[in-house]
Amino acid sequence: MLSSDQEDLRLLRESARTLFERAGGSARARKLRDAGGGWDADMVRELAEAGVFGVTVPEDNGGLGMGLAAGGVIAEEVGRVIAPEPVVVTVALSLGLLRRLCPEHARMEQLVSGETVLPVAWQERGPNGGPAEASCRYADGKLNGSKAWVVGASGAQGFLVVAEGDAGPVLVLTEVGADGLSVEGRRQADGSAMDELSFSGTPAEELASGDAVRNALAEAINDATALTAAELVGLSARVFEISLEYIKAREQFDKPIGSFQVIQHRAVDLNVMLEIAQSGVREVLGLMDDETDPKARARLASRAKARAVTTAKKITRDAIQMHGAVGYTDEFDIGLYLNRSLVLSAWLGDDAYHRRIWFETREEEGAAQ
Amino acid sequence: MTDWNAMTDAEFRKEVRQFFEADYPEELRHLPHRPKFAEVEHWHRKLHAKGWVAPAWPAEYGGMGLSASKLMIFYEEQQRWGVNRGRDMGIQMVGPLIIKFGTQKQKDYWLPRILSCEDIWCQGYSEPGAGSDLANLRTRAEIDGDDFVINGQKIWTTMAHDATHIFMLVRTDPDTPKKQQGISFLLAPMDQPGVDVRTITTLSGETEFCEVFFDNARTPRENLVGELNKGWTMAKALLSFERIFMGSPSLAQNALGQLENFARGRGAFDDPVFRDRFAQAALDVEDHAALYSRFADQLKRGETLGADVSMLKIWVTECFQRITELMIEAAGPDGGTIGPLQVGNVGVDVLASFYKARPATIYGGSNEIQRNILSKAVLGLPS
Repeated sequence: MLSSDQEDLRLLRESARTLFERAGGSARARKLRDAGGGWDADMVRELAEAGVFGVTVPEDNGGLGMGLAAGGVIAEEVGRVIAPEPVVVTVALSLGLLRRLCPEHARMEQLVSGETVLPVAWQERGPNGGPAEASCRYADGKLNGSKAWVVGASGAQGFLVVAEGDAGPVLVLTEVGADGLSVEGRRQADGSAMDELSFSGTPAEELASGDAVRNALAEAINDATALTAAELVGLSARVFEISLEYIKAREQFDKPIGSFQVIQHRAVDLNVMLEIAQSGVREVLGLMDDETDPKARARLASRAKARAVTTAKKITRDAIQMHGAVGYTDEFDIGLYLNRSLVLSAWLGDDAYHRRIWFETREEEGAAQ
Repeated sequence: MTDWNAMTDAEFRKEVRQFFEADYPEELRHLPHRPKFAEVEHWHRKLHAKGWVAPAWPAEYGGMGLSASKLMIFYEEQQRWGVNRGRDMGIQMVGPLIIKFGTQKQKDYWLPRILSCEDIWCQGYSEPGAGSDLANLRTRAEIDGDDFVINGQKIWTTMAHDATHIFMLVRTDPDTPKKQQGISFLLAPMDQPGVDVRTITTLSGETEFCEVFFDNARTPRENLVGELNKGWTMAKALLSFERIFMGSPSLAQNALGQLENFARGRGAFDDPVFRDRFAQAALDVEDHAALYSRFADQLKRGETLGADVSMLKIWVTECFQRITELMIEAAGPDGGTIGPLQVGNVGVDVLASFYKARPATIYGGSNEIQRNILSKAVLGLPS
């Protein structure tokens, strides 16, 4: 896959930003949260028309045929306005699986055109509440078992489920409302839901099976991890801008608080962290476009997420402190961003987790040489 | 005369790499201390014969005349092979200033002597009362006939005890409304009765810094570079390239490589807490390198760098310090031992790295000063 050139990326960033700003920026996120979570179906269609969902899909399959670097540009813009639409889920996971495993399937086109949203369910919750080995079964056209931490279920038309088949993993498609399917949402800090699915003889269509599924899933997760990092970078950038404006405007002791050196140095440190994160994550996305070795791609994705989470944690928390008491109110947008960052940080692994994966993968690569 | 800029980047890189790999003396690679001239003289002769002493100077003055992008490649290869910069104050600081602001006579006289290292230069900027607040400098130069007479003191003058000349900022007018005015740029010989050099012993036991005392020292009036009382602006004009090198990833990258070998040899990676801290440091270095190349690309495109380049220095020097702390941690009970610690068949000098990292957050504008600059010039925060 070719990494798109800088000018294309700049134009893409401009048009994505305009689209989100015209739609209402972060105010739209607040409105949707107050309405009970979920997303705006019209916005999904508008994004689709701009080519957002098909950004990494080959042109022959109706996409833009750009790389992850372009996906990252879009994800950063999603993060800037904390848009709840399932952009990374669709680009990296749903389409990431289908374009690798069954690019001719009719659902590809529907995903690209925003007609349908198909969240991917692969993780399972163990008895102690943490992640567990997969045991959800698929046999004779039916699913039995459960899946957890599914993002994007509200407003979805169906689910792509990775289950255990008779001969290794299978990717199946099941529809919302299918027999024996129950969906239970767990409300997240940002008002969205993360869902738990349970299946009892639920009918499903087999799309692919075997090692190809395992490999495609690993790659899709790598992509989603790196794009979520980009989303967090966009989010952090906006939080920094809001905070910078605030410390220039807010006066105490007859001076803007941004004139105090302790605040200035703190602001500089956040700015430096942000620039490091932005360069690091953008570099990773470009490198992942040119990299085919799965281990190297996993290491790169972990590098990006570790950096983005560390940065977002520091910037969102310090932003609350710089805002003072009003930072602790729901009225100020800064809290919406903090809440969104909590969800994006935890999903697909936080910084400590990804530093561990980064180190282990690097050791494995070193040992293989 | 070869037109290096007409080569492709890849060709040029290959040429530079081959020369360093074939001709750079093995015993000088990755030199842990700052050498006296005698120690690197044989290498300097080779460079001089090849015409590569001054990569950044225009060809007409005996330099290589490299474009910004070729220059970056030259320095990258230099760092990659561990090529010592030698005694390059003349090359890096005095030469460019004379080329830009000097008279024809000054160019004709000084530049060839800088290239051949007939004159070896040291930099007289800081004073006991003028560190971060450099414009507060008080060393006086007064006109007396055909000479300037110099009185005062410079400090942190690197390798002054191995220099033949000093280039300095001096106060030539004490009665200006702003202290940045009234400062001039002066060249002076070191070998005279009025100049006294004393070395300063650092925490690591090295003596590369000096104090230089001026007691009615003299230098001819023709050794004034540029206009009288315009030294401050001239000195600042030179800093553009300097500022990105202060933030180069190489020091931290080398230390990280050493840390990894040492930690592996000592079994420190068996400890998951150490592993996590190593991963943090390694990722800090990788992501810094990504930001560094963004600035380097800006230079390569021929753009000038803004004040935001300071963030490279803040991040990498603090990162360098954390890496050397991890080395001490991995050394366990040997953490206070002077000299190389043996791991397999290599010795790692943990304390030497630690000491080397300490002044990095102080020199070249302390990190606190860099933060002041960023907060005003980049973030636009009010006074």
